Amino acid sequence: MNAPEANSGGAPKQQFELSIGCVPFRLQMADVELFRAASSRYAAFAEAAAQPIHITLNEFSKSESRPAEFGYEFEGAELRASSQETRFDGVRNEYALDSLLRVLLSWKLVGRHGFLLHAATVVRDGKAYVFTGRSGAGKSTVASLSPEGTVLTDEISLLRFENGEWRAYGTPFWGEFRAAGSNTSAPVRGLFRIVQAAENRLTTLRPVVMLRALLPNVLFFSPEFEANRRLLDILGHAVDSIPGYELAFRKNAAFWEVLPE
Amino acid sequence: MNAASVLWQKNPALAWREIDETTVIISPSDSVMHELNDTGSFLWKNIDGYKCAADLAALLAEKYEVAPDIALTDTQSLLEEMSSRKLLVPVPAMVGESR
Repeated sequence: MNAPEANSGGAPKQQFELSIGCVPFRLQMADVELFRAASSRYAAFAEAAAQPIHITLNEFSKSESRPAEFGYEFEGAELRASSQETRFDGVRNEYALDSLLRVLLSWKLVGRHGFLLHAATVVRDGKAYVFTGRSGAGKSTVASLSPEGTVLTDEISLLRFENGEWRAYGTPFWGEFRAAGSNTSAPVRGLFRIVQAAENRLTTLRPVVMLRALLPNVLFFSPEFEANRRLLDILGHAVDSIPGYELAFRKNAAFWEVLPE
Repeated sequence: MNAASVLWQKNPALAWREIDETTVIISPSDSVMHELNDTGSFLWKNIDGYKCAADLAALLAEKYEVAPDIALTDTQSLLEEMSSRKLLVPVPAMVGESR
């Protein structure tokens, strides 16, 4: 899986395969240090799968003129994706790689009826409780107050509709836990907009209100109309079919008592 | 061309769908979400690039059983608001066309 690959010229390339939310990627690069960092960072998500999305890193020479269907720049690093290839250029460290991978994944998920959400996800009794909110709302607090081994992620959750149900997946994208999320998934029990308060209280939210709460926390970077139209359809389906709540909570584990089973 | 004869169309740059009996419109460029109430949703569904305020007001009057003059005032007010939020754009007049 993580083997050097024969190369027609230049430095030998190495490749690393991973899967996030059942979206498979193959990263190929010649930079040994970057390869080591990526292998370590995504170790929990290492997985070979059929037909991975092939990403070449820092190969500036080929097909410069080929038009990209999707492009994104982040601090000098650039993502260019077309139906033929995906390239990350100017990637100097694992942080830039991580950022471009998030952006690419958010775009690819639109074609797979899914999306990335700033949210902590905790599994209880086999069901995923997805807690969303802006930075500082309490995602990491919720995760830290949950039993060990139940947190899929404290920062970025991946939600996908598959086989007739919404499932939440852990991702390798770090929050304050400073550790990768869990490479597992569970059917979604509910979406919870979190608000820190003096007492624990649960309020049901109408779908349109839940959508309003989700939108600022959805990771999406394409300005393209069709991609946004499809994303809105996906989000609309999610809030129509997943129960939505506002969870006002104190900073202790007693908030679990007000959550639905 | 006077204001009442302007034909309106949905801003083609916006994504929209009905959720929870509310029309939700999103501007991809800034992720701003707009919600339309019942009357606004009704107008939105009927805005197709071929209707002016008077046409839409006639539909509104029939749907909600209100007097034509009240329907026209409400329609013009809503169209103005939607236009100011860039949800609607006027249909460009053809060269040489008078409305």
